Amino acid sequence: MIGRPTAVALIVAGVVLTATAMVLPWYSTVYAGNVEVVVRAWGTQVVNKPGDWPAGDLSPWYGLPVALTAVLLVAGIWINRAALAGAAAQLGAVGITAVLLISERGHAVEQQGDFAIGYGLVFLVAGTLTALAGALAVQREPA
Amino acid sequence: MKLLSAVLLGLAAAAAVAATFLPLSELLIRLTPDQPQTEFVTTGWSTHFGGTKDEHGPLFGIPVAAAAATVLLGIRWRKVAYAGAAALAGVTGMLFVYLLNAISFHKAGNITIDPGLEAGFGNGIWVLISAVVLAFGAVVVHPDD
Repeated sequence: MIGRPTAVALIVAGVVLTATAMVLPWYSTVYAGNVEVVVRAWGTQVVNKPGDWPAGDLSPWYGLPVALTAVLLVAGIWINRAALAGAAAQLGAVGITAVLLISERGHAVEQQGDFAIGYGLVFLVAGTLTALAGALAVQREPA
Repeated sequence: MKLLSAVLLGLAAAAAVAATFLPLSELLIRLTPDQPQTEFVTTGWSTHFGGTKDEHGPLFGIPVAAAAATVLLGIRWRKVAYAGAAALAGVTGMLFVYLLNAISFHKAGNITIDPGLEAGFGNGIWVLISAVVLAFGAVVVHPDD
């Protein structure tokens, strides 16, 4: 086995990657007229917003469930159980984000938008998988 | 206790899968003042706007089904049950946030056109939350440690 220090290091790396994901763009679409819709953990930003764009923010709180799972991961540095719960829950949350991403991409392509995945989502997936590897490893070590 | 936890885990998985076929959010909105209200229903497997199906509707049923399968596998191992329950909670939490955002977005965007607008959660989300509670309950009584 990889040992407890390495497992904890993986959890920490997962938390750092996840924290970075909270401030970077998750995905974006560029439509005609250079209108760009950027989805982040804490809201949707519309660049070059046209006048007839609907008011309101479609995704202000995607970061909330992820922030909670990240807190569980941090607690998991000392409590093995919390690490497993945090990593599994974060994987579940990423699952929902993944199906939303596929759906949004479909809509964007249909409306001739140029869809792109942001670094935030890459970091979120990498962070989740790294933390999960650490959380699984830490379960096998004596507390 | 082994039997009780197995029954609870089975129920939790069944409830989670059943929830994907129930409405997660239901909106009754008018897009222009002179039009009749259209029903906008999202389930785990489809999004319908009136009679029109959204070809790219998000398939929330997939992560829910994956978490439910893990919960079911947890009948054999307590830690798997625990991880499955946590995964189901994560799926439910993120889905809840998405639905809450979508419901309030449509409410805010259309209320001036249609004061009679109705927008809210469907029964699916409540069944899904119940499944999470059942799954954690099963973990608590699970004897294998």
